[in-house]
Amino acid sequence: MSAEKKEYLLVDENGQGKPDKPWIFRTYAGHTNAKASNELYRKNLSKGQTGLSIAFDLPTQCGYSSDHEVSRPEIGKVGVPINSLEDFRILFDQIPIEEMNTSMTINGTSMWLLSLYVALAEERGVPLEKLNGTTQNDLIKEYLARGTYIYPPKESMKIIVDMYEYSLHKIPKWNPSNICSYHLQEAGATPVQELSFALATAIAVLDAIKERNCFTAEEFEQCVGRISFFVNAGIRFVEEMCKMRAFTEMWEEITTERYAVKTAKYRVFRYGVQVNSLGLTEEQPENNAWRILIESLGVTLSRNARCRALQLPAWNEALSLPRPWDQQWSLRLQQVLAYETDLLEYPDIFEGSKVIESKVKALKEEAKLEIQKIIDMGGALVAIENGYMKSQLVKSQTERLSKINSNELVIVGKNKWTDGIKSPLMTDSDGGIFKVDPKSAEQTLNVLAEAKTRRNAEAAKKSLEELKQAAKDGKNLMPFSIACAKALVTTGEWADALRDVYGEYNPPTGVDGQKLFLSDDKVSTVRGKVEAFTKANGHRPKIVVGKPGLDGHSNGAEMIAVSAKHSGFDVIYSGIRLSPEEIVQSAVEENANVIGLSILSGSHKEIVKQLFDELAHYKAKIPVVIGGIIPESDFEDLRAMGIREIFTPKDYDLMSIMNKIIDIITVEPVLV
Amino acid sequence: MIDTKESLSQLVSDALLGEKYPIAKIISKIETEKNLEFRESLFHELSLQKPDFKEGLTIGITGTPGAGKSSLLGELCRLFLEFAPDKKMAIVAIDPSSNVSGGSILGDRTRVTLPRRDIRLYFRSQPSQLELGGLNPYTYHVIRFLRRVFDYVFVETVGIGQNEISVSLISDLSFLVMQPLGGDQVQFMKSGIMEVPEAFIINKCDEESLANSSYYMLQSTLEFIKDILPNHTLPPIFKTSVTKRKGIEELLQYILHYEKRKDKNEETLTQLTQWIRNEYGRWGISIWEELESSKWNQAVKRNPLGGIHKLKYEEEERKIISSIQTKIK
Repeated sequence: MSAEKKEYLLVDENGQGKPDKPWIFRTYAGHTNAKASNELYRKNLSKGQTGLSIAFDLPTQCGYSSDHEVSRPEIGKVGVPINSLEDFRILFDQIPIEEMNTSMTINGTSMWLLSLYVALAEERGVPLEKLNGTTQNDLIKEYLARGTYIYPPKESMKIIVDMYEYSLHKIPKWNPSNICSYHLQEAGATPVQELSFALATAIAVLDAIKERNCFTAEEFEQCVGRISFFVNAGIRFVEEMCKMRAFTEMWEEITTERYAVKTAKYRVFRYGVQVNSLGLTEEQPENNAWRILIESLGVTLSRNARCRALQLPAWNEALSLPRPWDQQWSLRLQQVLAYETDLLEYPDIFEGSKVIESKVKALKEEAKLEIQKIIDMGGALVAIENGYMKSQLVKSQTERLSKINSNELVIVGKNKWTDGIKSPLMTDSDGGIFKVDPKSAEQTLNVLAEAKTRRNAEAAKKSLEELKQAAKDGKNLMPFSIACAKALVTTGEWADALRDVYGEYNPPTGVDGQKLFLSDDKVSTVRGKVEAFTKANGHRPKIVVGKPGLDGHSNGAEMIAVSAKHSGFDVIYSGIRLSPEEIVQSAVEENANVIGLSILSGSHKEIVKQLFDELAHYKAKIPVVIGGIIPESDFEDLRAMGIREIFTPKDYDLMSIMNKIIDIITVEPVLV
Repeated sequence: MIDTKESLSQLVSDALLGEKYPIAKIISKIETEKNLEFRESLFHELSLQKPDFKEGLTIGITGTPGAGKSSLLGELCRLFLEFAPDKKMAIVAIDPSSNVSGGSILGDRTRVTLPRRDIRLYFRSQPSQLELGGLNPYTYHVIRFLRRVFDYVFVETVGIGQNEISVSLISDLSFLVMQPLGGDQVQFMKSGIMEVPEAFIINKCDEESLANSSYYMLQSTLEFIKDILPNHTLPPIFKTSVTKRKGIEELLQYILHYEKRKDKNEETLTQLTQWIRNEYGRWGISIWEELESSKWNQAVKRNPLGGIHKLKYEEEERKIISSIQTKIK
């Protein structure tokens, strides 16, 4: 038999052809409320999906219950709202959690959600050893890119280590954290930055675990083996594949050299992938289908750089939430790739390629230098607190945008070949997009209210007090959180208890000292208008860039802040998660000439209304413009409320945006 | 635009009540170029509506970037609301401008979380407009206005060279904020600015032993220059930590109980001198000195130690402008 063994095929020990098992097919999903999401999951599983990837709504991610005032506009919008164990009971109804591989995209409140999962398992009599899955729990990327952090870096890291300690002993198949470079690429990271920032984060986590000194050497190795990664695959797919190979090699080196891990299987770089959403366009959105396919190739094509799990965005994600059909289409792509093609039958098809090898080498060398820089600085936590990593990302992002603006970076349908026939996919009665029924929040609120009345109030109070005391004493918080879960404590109550002890974190915005690399005619036109404004009014135009609500994707706001400064504006930008009241207060106190809002969560209508109410309170007539993922069907309502201009991902040209803004305030300068 | 006397008087009376938007509009107007006329009417109106010359205390806060000034101010605000329930405070935070586009990013609000709609606190950012000295050309007048409305006016500036200490010239009480063991002690001595601030803050004292060693280092450094300090006494040194919430209450109490006011005539003279030098150079100064009717002249001649009644800034400015224009003709 062995004589017939073919080098180019994967075979089993008997020499029979044996293709690789496919990766886990997931769909990042969750919306409206626990009941609707449960139905969606069961449908997806019946369609051949092999794992769950739960998307939580922003209040759940930020540690607020649905009945908190800041939650109201966001309930059920970008994921499922989870207030207490009651919601988990509904969410996993008729789903055998002991057979699932459940990934939870949750960070600031990951300990809480894992506690709920454990409480649910215990209630169902499922042995904890059977629980399989991942809590994302990468706070560093939250501080850098996504914004759903709650506590300061040190305390957040302490919570992560608590979860490692608990999981290793009680839920050995659980991945307590998942180092997530996905959002770094979304925030503009280059492959080198993705490599170095993610690995520096993993080093920070492992160093913290080592420092806790709660494991034997053997347990520590297992711990290293539990670290998984969540990576982004972009459109430059050859480079992306090399990035994945570099990741694997560097992780092998780090775990051997820095942590002396002896067991080979614990040194394996285990990772899941969601392909890039940043590059998806609102213009000619049907092109996104091809982009998604090509991006998938980078992480599936070669065996040495093949992901363990894959989730694909939908073709229409740049427009709004995808419909169930759109998600199904993405799932089908994975199935075609895995089951129809011969992809899984071969060993690594790029092994020995000079091009690939030297590209990997180059990436590794650069990334190593960068990691050393961060370690010399004091590690990833210090590089967060001093703003280094954030400012590097904002820099990369401005460079990327400058290149799109100058057409150096071609994006088909956006800055090249922009004329085309309108997509028939968009002509359905729903306009090709999905909207959450605003009334569905009632259901969530009812479940919450009922859970609160039904629970033993004394027991809930006691478990919260014990949690707080444990936090003050520096104990492992997992058992106390599970006790809270069983006592039907709510998400907001759990998070508040720890807010009391740890405080809330307010990181650097990364925009200080940033420069745009734009100096074309458009820039001089805008600067000319700014100078004219300054001359006429005696002072520079002043813009308040506001990022209201719980949506922490601040790239857009940061780019506008940097562009406005580049144009000669005085810019007030105070970071994310502001209330409309705070934004208006800034604009009023600063006597701003214009307010620019950035909202990506789909809550624009509610927030804009709150904002205009607040402006009315101060009798302030300040023009307001808005940017974000806003469907055209909402334009009219927003304009009726008083919004002067609406920018969507279509408006990628920063100087055109600034040009419109300066025109608005020049025609009608704010009366002083 | 503020065209009529009536609307200005309305604006001023609303501002005196602490209403944010009118205050904001007045500041913008002060920050506008060629605002002499507006200032004249504004301060005239203020003296009509608030004739008693009781003014707020001006507190200058300066120090190197990264010393944590804004976070410290944020914590001061929080405690202020708690410990001074019947007082009002304003903050003017000055950030650097871009030297390419002239624009700026004013990010200091990030560190100061203010309660909404509370008229007891007011925060205003100001771009430095590339002026040396860390102050904006209009800062002085903005502060002069704000201290009519607020009990306390904080001015925060970045920078720590000789030029960046101008803030102490226009404040009653100025602080230099440092980090523990910044290694800058020697630099301070060299640059000779140790004698300028009224008090020192070692911020970020999150760790006891480091804080103490920095405290003693600073103290011994100050001992060196004791002889040239006013009254030959060492200025107070505060150890603060925002994360540990330590020492800030003491700092606030010190500020709340600070009675001394600097001589406003001197302040006015300093500011006028600086303005003339900026606008007309030494030639301008020499013309001002020649001006017989100059209050400055009178002040210097008759009473070199001050003690005369308040100078009227705008009146003096107008005199200077007209005499300079005559000279030019």
